[in-house]
Amino acid sequence: MDIAEEHNGDVTIVEIKGRIDSNTSRPFGDRLTGLIKAGRKRIVVDLKNLVYISSAGFRALLLAGRLAEESQGTLVLCSLSSEVQRLFDLGAFTDLFPIYSSREEGLTKLS
Amino acid sequence: MQIEPSGPTLLLHSKMTSESSGTHFSLRIGNTINEMKKVVDLVERFGSAHNVSKKAINELNLCLDEILNNTISYGYDDKGFHSILVTLTLVGDLMIAEIVDDAKPFDPRQSTPPDPSQGLGERRVGGVGLHFVNALMEKVDYSRKNGCNHLKLHKKL
Repeated sequence: MDIAEEHNGDVTIVEIKGRIDSNTSRPFGDRLTGLIKAGRKRIVVDLKNLVYISSAGFRALLLAGRLAEESQGTLVLCSLSSEVQRLFDLGAFTDLFPIYSSREEGLTKLS
Repeated sequence: MQIEPSGPTLLLHSKMTSESSGTHFSLRIGNTINEMKKVVDLVERFGSAHNVSKKAINELNLCLDEILNNTISYGYDDKGFHSILVTLTLVGDLMIAEIVDDAKPFDPRQSTPPDPSQGLGERRVGGVGLHFVNALMEKVDYSRKNGCNHLKLHKKL
């Protein structure tokens, strides 16, 4: 898994490439919670190049989402492939996060 | 079958067997999360060798991640070394992954779908991994033999 980060005004875009599994869920979660703790409260997680996310990855995402909520921040997701969307649906995670079809839409909603 | 606890942790071979028309890839890993990367590579190589779709490869890898994480995290009462054997076989239009371990008896075929009414604050992830396995695999077989769990995941190509 690779993580690329860029800033667009006060919005941080975190782009994930590869798999979020038992080995990569920790660096993934640490990156998101690190950003929130550092005061970056508007985050778009771009999942266009995510291959899959395991339950360990969903746990990390839930913890980051909660931390964002507690910090009066917003964490949104965008660009899920149909395979990744299916995992969100199977795990009943779809309604727990704002999910947008494109990065641009996510940025517009957060701006 | 008793799993040998010693010897090289990587035993990779690819051979045609006379008892089936499938090709076998197998790998023995130790009981640490870090070792699981080797299984991801094995499944990728198996998929490339047999022209398996990316979707089927990814779904099998996801389910192996759930099963192995469960076994390694919760399956052993001691902190000692244990070996886990993963074998991949192609039989007709099915890719079969067999996992043999000497962890505590555990049948993963029972899983409860997550409760969609829970919000972000109260939501727990426990059980979701096994739900993925039972939803994404065509069939899951489990048996306990000679002190070992034998699990077979069947995935359509």
